Amino acid sequence: MTDRYKRHPDLRLADVEGDGVVLHLGTRRYFSVSESGLALLQALETPRTIPELVEVLLERYEVTPEQAEASVRQFLDTCHTAELLIEEGTR
Amino acid sequence: MPTSAIAVRCADHTVRATLERWLAELRIAAPPGLALDVALVPEIEEQNGERVFEQPEVGFLRGPDGRGLRIVWEEAAAVADLPGGAQTATVRLSAVAAARLEQSLSNFFMAVVIILLRRAGWYHLHAATAIDPVSRGWLFAGNAHCGKSTTAALLAASGWQVGTDDAAFLEARGARIIVHTCHAPIALRPGGRALLARAGGIELPERGKVGYWPEDLGGVWTPLVSPEIVIFTTVGDAQTTGERIPAAAALGELVRWSAWVMLEPDLAQDHLNALTRLTVQARCYRVTLGRDLFARPNRLTELVT
Repeated sequence: MTDRYKRHPDLRLADVEGDGVVLHLGTRRYFSVSESGLALLQALETPRTIPELVEVLLERYEVTPEQAEASVRQFLDTCHTAELLIEEGTR
Repeated sequence: MPTSAIAVRCADHTVRATLERWLAELRIAAPPGLALDVALVPEIEEQNGERVFEQPEVGFLRGPDGRGLRIVWEEAAAVADLPGGAQTATVRLSAVAAARLEQSLSNFFMAVVIILLRRAGWYHLHAATAIDPVSRGWLFAGNAHCGKSTTAALLAASGWQVGTDDAAFLEARGARIIVHTCHAPIALRPGGRALLARAGGIELPERGKVGYWPEDLGGVWTPLVSPEIVIFTTVGDAQTTGERIPAAAALGELVRWSAWVMLEPDLAQDHLNALTRLTVQARCYRVTLGRDLFARPNRLTELVT
């Protein structure tokens, strides 16, 4: 089980009028992310747990904790597939 | 002829004079402190480092220090080292490379200059630049077959100020992004020459093109453009059409045409920030260039009003 997530150090982020743009210098790929996705990636500069990431969304958006957690988990899955994350504390 | 702001140090007079002449002709008003330190050497070791980028005739390897770059010319043994943060490129040329120096200028040495300028906060973009008759700055970005050069030539012939047809350098200056250009012939393929009904020009046999100075086309060269309009061009058929695109989509396009953004992690964020600011400062369009443009160049300005 993974305890904490951190964004990959090869990522560079840009905020373009509310939309997020992500460069992965390692894979040389480019991604677009939503405003909430950008907020999560910004928070992931330091290692974060899922509850901490849920808090990031709850502070910004009027959603239920369940909705926020579902969004966080889906986003982490997508980021994992795209190699955007480092996972810590696997046991 | 003006001297270049990029210093050239080389014990070989012929090599130094050739590089100084080339840089002076480009008229790149580079920030102070950049230099090429060039030496002719009897032998250059085989290059087995990690390749991080390729372009025709030129390879980019991760530098021995792990932060900078080593640039190699594939046509003859020539190597340039740019350690992380360094504002001097240390270039080694074999005798064969020195004998083919003119051939190396537009690819190997241009790549070295592009990386040097990046160290000074000038970020290269494959783009043409122009200023229209009402003083608006335009930037046309795209690959080698998307009509940038033909459009630049057409606009020069229509009396616009034109900067470059391919090599633009973005710099953050105050609240704006400005674009420095270099003074080089607008290089047209046979198809572009035919569309413009142009004869004469400067033969560029190594590129399979013919070059025209903006002045020879009736335009004026401009060294600096502050873009208000950014166009991503593709070549179509009859009609010129276009649509405005959101800033995030425009940034995706700019990243494609400014591929150096992915190199040298220490500089990538500043480079990305410059591209981002350009998309916010300018109105961005995706335009398909049609043959009607040659009869009616004003079609471009109509599309963005």
